[in-house]
Amino acid sequence: MEGQVALLLAVSLLVLGLGTLLSRRNVIWKLLGLNVASGGAALFLVAVGHRPQAVPPILGWGPGPAADPLPQALILTAIVIHFATLALSLVYVIFLTEHLHTQDVPKLERGEDE
Amino acid sequence: MTAALAGVLGYFLAGTLELLRTKTGPCWGLVAWAGGLISLALWAPGFPESKLGGPLWGISLVGDPIALAFWCFIPLVHAAVGWHERRRPATFHGLVTLLVGTCLATVLSRDLFNLFVCLELNSLLSFLLIGFDARSRAVWASLQYLILTTVGMILYLVGLGLVYGELGTLSLAQISTLAVDFSTPSLAVGAGLLVAGAAVKAGVFLLGLWLPLAYREAPTGVSTLLAGLVGKMGIVTLARLAQALPVGPLVVSLGVVTGFGGLIYALWERDLKVFLAYQVMSQVGYMLIGFGLGGPAFFGALLYTVACCLYKGLLFQAAGQAVEAVGKRDIPSLAGRLPGPAAIGLAVGTAAIVGLPPLAGFVGKELLGVMVPPAFSWTLTILTLGTAASFSKLLPLFRMGPAAGERGAVTLLTAGVLGFSSWGLLSLPSLWAPSLWLRALAAVAVGFGLHLVIHRLDIRLPKIGLDRAALVSLVGSVGLALATVLWL
Amino acid sequence: MKWAAWLVAMILGGLLAWTSWGLFPRPALPPWQEATAYWGARNAVAAIVLGARLYDTLFEVLVFAMAMVGVRLALRPLPKRRARPPVIESPLLERAADVLVPAIGVFGVYLAASGHLAPGGGFPAGAIVGTGLLLVALARGIRALAQEFPQPILSQLEYGSLAALLILGGGSLALGWRGGWLLTLANMLILIKVSTGAWTVLEHFAAHRGEV
Repeated sequence: MEGQVALLLAVSLLVLGLGTLLSRRNVIWKLLGLNVASGGAALFLVAVGHRPQAVPPILGWGPGPAADPLPQALILTAIVIHFATLALSLVYVIFLTEHLHTQDVPKLERGEDE
Repeated sequence: MTAALAGVLGYFLAGTLELLRTKTGPCWGLVAWAGGLISLALWAPGFPESKLGGPLWGISLVGDPIALAFWCFIPLVHAAVGWHERRRPATFHGLVTLLVGTCLATVLSRDLFNLFVCLELNSLLSFLLIGFDARSRAVWASLQYLILTTVGMILYLVGLGLVYGELGTLSLAQISTLAVDFSTPSLAVGAGLLVAGAAVKAGVFLLGLWLPLAYREAPTGVSTLLAGLVGKMGIVTLARLAQALPVGPLVVSLGVVTGFGGLIYALWERDLKVFLAYQVMSQVGYMLIGFGLGGPAFFGALLYTVACCLYKGLLFQAAGQAVEAVGKRDIPSLAGRLPGPAAIGLAVGTAAIVGLPPLAGFVGKELLGVMVPPAFSWTLTILTLGTAASFSKLLPLFRMGPAAGERGAVTLLTAGVLGFSSWGLLSLPSLWAPSLWLRALAAVAVGFGLHLVIHRLDIRLPKIGLDRAALVSLVGSVGLALATVLWL
Repeated sequence: MKWAAWLVAMILGGLLAWTSWGLFPRPALPPWQEATAYWGARNAVAAIVLGARLYDTLFEVLVFAMAMVGVRLALRPLPKRRARPPVIESPLLERAADVLVPAIGVFGVYLAASGHLAPGGGFPAGAIVGTGLLLVALARGIRALAQEFPQPILSQLEYGSLAALLILGGGSLALGWRGGWLLTLANMLILIKVSTGAWTVLEHFAAHRGEV
C-alpha cells in the first residue's frame, strides 16, 4: 500500500509542478514548477522500486526482501542532472533580469538587446 | 566495443583538458578528432550489442548501421565548426568537443536511461553554446529551450519508470523481445511518454517548438552544429524506441504532423534562419515516417538523416555567414548582398534539399520513396513539392554581393554533400533510372510554380511564445500517451 | 489559458495514477547480492552508480561540471556588486561555525569514504561539504572565504578531479578495474568535484547578486 501512496504523491507533485509551469507568467515560478515536477518524476521512479516490508539493498542489512536498487541509482543521477539544470537556468534568469529588468515571460519575449 | 568506448571517453577527456586552457583556438579538440577517426577505423564494420558492466544492471551499447552512419560524418561537421570558429576561446572549443563526444555516445547507446543521460548532457551543452555570446536574446532563446526540453525529459523519465516497472529492464534489446504488443495500460502510457519526451528533444512540430528561436539566436558555428548533428539526437532516440517498442504508428503520425506543420510555417517565414529552422522540422517528417514504418524504410530513413544533416549543416553555415556579413535577417533585404561562399553554399544546399539530381537530397528522397508503401510515398511527394515551393524564395539570394567571406567551413560541408551524393549514385545503380531524374526535376518545377501562387497570399500564422509552446507540447505528450493506450 | 494548463496537467496525472496502479503487486527482485559483491561493494546503489553504470555516472558528472562552466560564463560579463557585505554579525553564528565546520568536513569525508559500504556516497558528501562552506560564508563573509580559495586553484582542482574520474572510468570500463579501492577513490573524486562546484555556484551567485 505504501507503494501506491508514494506513487500518488509523486503524480500529484508532477501535476502541481507542470500546472505551475504552464499557468504562471514569472520565470522564477516556472522554474520552481519545473523543479517540483522533476522531484515528482524522481519520487515516481523510487516508488516503482518499492517492495512491501523491504530493507535497504545493502548486504548484511537484514534477511527480508530488499528494495530495487536500480531506480534509486537512476534517480541519484537524475537528481544531480536536475540540480545542474536548475543552477544554470537560475543563472540565466539573473542575466536576463540584469539586462532586461524583468522576469515576466511576455516581456522577456519582446525584450531587445540594451 | 572497447575502441568505440575509447573514442567517446577520449573526446570527453580532451574536452575537459581544453576547458583548462586559456588561449584561443582548438588544441585538444584536434587530438580528440584524430582519436575519433582512429577509433572509427578500429570498430568500423560494427560490433554486436554488448552489455557494459555486467548482465544485471549493465548498459547496452551497439555498433549498428545507425551508429556507423553517424560516426562517419560527425568528424566532418566537427571539423567545419572547429575551423569556422577557430578564433574563439578554448572554452568554446572544449564545449564543442564535449558536445560532439556526447553525440558519438548517443548513437551507440541502446539503453533507455543512458539515452536520457546522453540527451541531458547534449541539451545542457547546447544551452551553453547558444548563450555563449552573452546576448540577452540568445540567453532567452537558450532558457526557453532549457525549460521546454526539461519538461520533455521529465515526461521521458516518468515513461521510463513505467516501462521499467512493467518489464524490469532498461535494455532496448530485451524490451523488444518482451514488449511485442501493449498488453497492459502502464506499458502503453510509458511508451507514449517516452516517445513524447524524445519528440520534444527532437524538435518535432507541436512538441518541440523551442527550435526556431534557438536556431535563430545561436552563433553561426553553433547553429551548424545544432542543425547538422545535435538536433538529430532526439530523432536517433525515436528511431531506437521505434526499433524496440511497438510504437511505429505513433512515430509515423508524428512524422506526418511535423512534416506538414513545419512546412506551413516555413512557407510564409521571412527570417532566413527561422525559415531554415522550420524546414528542419519539416525534414524531420521524412525521417520519422521512415523510422516508424520500419523494415526497408528504416534504412532509407537512416540514409536520408545523414544526407539531411550534411545539407542542413551547410545551409545553416551559409545562412549564418550571410547574416553575419550583411547584418540583416530578412530574406528580401539580403538579396544580392551575400558574400560569395555564403551564396554558393546556400545554392548548393538548396539544390540538395529540394532534391535536384544528382545531389544528396535526390539520393535520400528517392531511396526513401522507393522503400515506403505507396500511400506514404504520396505524402512524401507532397512534402517534396512544398519544400521546393518554400525554398524558391531563396532564389534572389544566390546572386553574390561584393563582400568576400570565409570559405573553409562551407567548402568542407559542400564536399560532404557532394561526397554523399557520389557515394549514393555509385553504390545504388537503381538511382540512374531516367524516370526518377525526370520526376525529381518535375517536382522542383511544380514546386516553383506553387511558389509563384503562394507568395502572393498574405497569411499570418499564430505566433509561438514560451507559454503556448509549453502548453502545446504538454497537450501533445498527453495526447500521445492517450493515443497509445486507446488505439495500440 | 490557465484552466487549459491545469486541465492538461490533471489529465496527465489521472492517466499516470490509473496506469501505475497496475504496477502492483511488484515482482520479486532478480538476485542482486552477487552482483553487488562482484563490484566490491556492500551497498547495491553504490555498486550500480560506480560499478555497473559508471558510464552513466560519467555523463552525470560532466553535466554537473558543464553547469558550473555555464555559471561562470553567464555571470562573468555582469558587473560585480561593490556594496558592503552585509555579514550577519552574530557571535553565536561565528562560534557555531567554528565548532560545526570541522565536524561537517569530517562527516562529509566519512560519507564519501564509506559510501560503498553503507548509505552515503560522493554526491551527498559533496553537498554536505558545500553546506559547511555556506555556513562559514554566512559567519565570516564570502570575501574572506574567497581569499582562502583562489579561483585558479579551484578550477584546476575541479577539472583535475573530472579528468581523473574520466581516466578512472576508462580503466573500469575498458580494462575491467573494479573493487573497493576504485569505489572509494571515485567517491572521493566526486566529493572534490561536487564541493568545488557548489562553492563556485555560491561564490558567483553571491558576487553578482550581493552578499549572502
